[in-house]
Amino acid sequence: MRLRDIDKENLVIANAIDQIVQDGFQGFSMNKLAKACNISVGTLYIYYKDKDDLIQKIGATVAIEFFSRTIKNFSPEMSFEEGLWVQWVNRADFTMKYPRKVAFFEIIKHSPHGEIILNSTTKFSDFRTIMKQFIDNGLHNNEISPMTFEAFWSVAYGPLYTLLNFHTDGKSMGGKPFVLTRKIMKEAFQATVKALKP
Amino acid sequence: MKIMDTDLNTVHVFKTDIRKMDTGCAMYHKLNDHKDIQQWSIDHDDIDCVLRVVSETLQPEAIITLISDFGHKCQELV
Repeated sequence: MRLRDIDKENLVIANAIDQIVQDGFQGFSMNKLAKACNISVGTLYIYYKDKDDLIQKIGATVAIEFFSRTIKNFSPEMSFEEGLWVQWVNRADFTMKYPRKVAFFEIIKHSPHGEIILNSTTKFSDFRTIMKQFIDNGLHNNEISPMTFEAFWSVAYGPLYTLLNFHTDGKSMGGKPFVLTRKIMKEAFQATVKALKP
Repeated sequence: MKIMDTDLNTVHVFKTDIRKMDTGCAMYHKLNDHKDIQQWSIDHDDIDCVLRVVSETLQPEAIITLISDFGHKCQELV
């Protein structure tokens, strides 16, 4: 009788993320992963059909975890400023707590696997609906100026991701040591909100 | 964390020498049309060309015989 071993599954996920972040898709193989986890390659194939299946399943798990965190304590009915701040805090907390998962997610997003993952479950369209409703409310309540979606997104989240990249690297411009604090985040947030207002 | 819903006891994996397979060949049809096989795949990119079969009733020996009859090596991975 073969029983599901959650610890083993989590070990496989953690090692796969580490290997892909370190070596990319090309350097990654089922055999290498099995060795790193001290399990037989056969066990790995019980769970996953092949390398692509594994990358896509783990990618979907990480993506759902990330999007679920972004809407923690969040409601599209919140005022635009309050809701955007909750999103900033959630995104920052996840990135600071799980930098490997975020790096993995970035690699996946820019690969052909990204689209397959986004179409693999309706959960992602649920997240999109929540965000759309939030932005629509902001427009309807005259809290934000109408603009192209991509322009909006780059202004609303771009400053945060720049700060998070500095934080992950541990340095900012010219190699200056950097640690992101809530105070710095709030400074950038206030400028962002101002930029989005009508 | 749930990875997939398939009952793990119905999944059988084998090391083979099936480097490639045409979708029109007899072995492909045999696996595809088999009433006791719910799902199957071969990872041609892997060094072990792993065959993965999901079947509620077939035993590993029966799958080994099925593949061997086509002149291919097939060994259960445990």
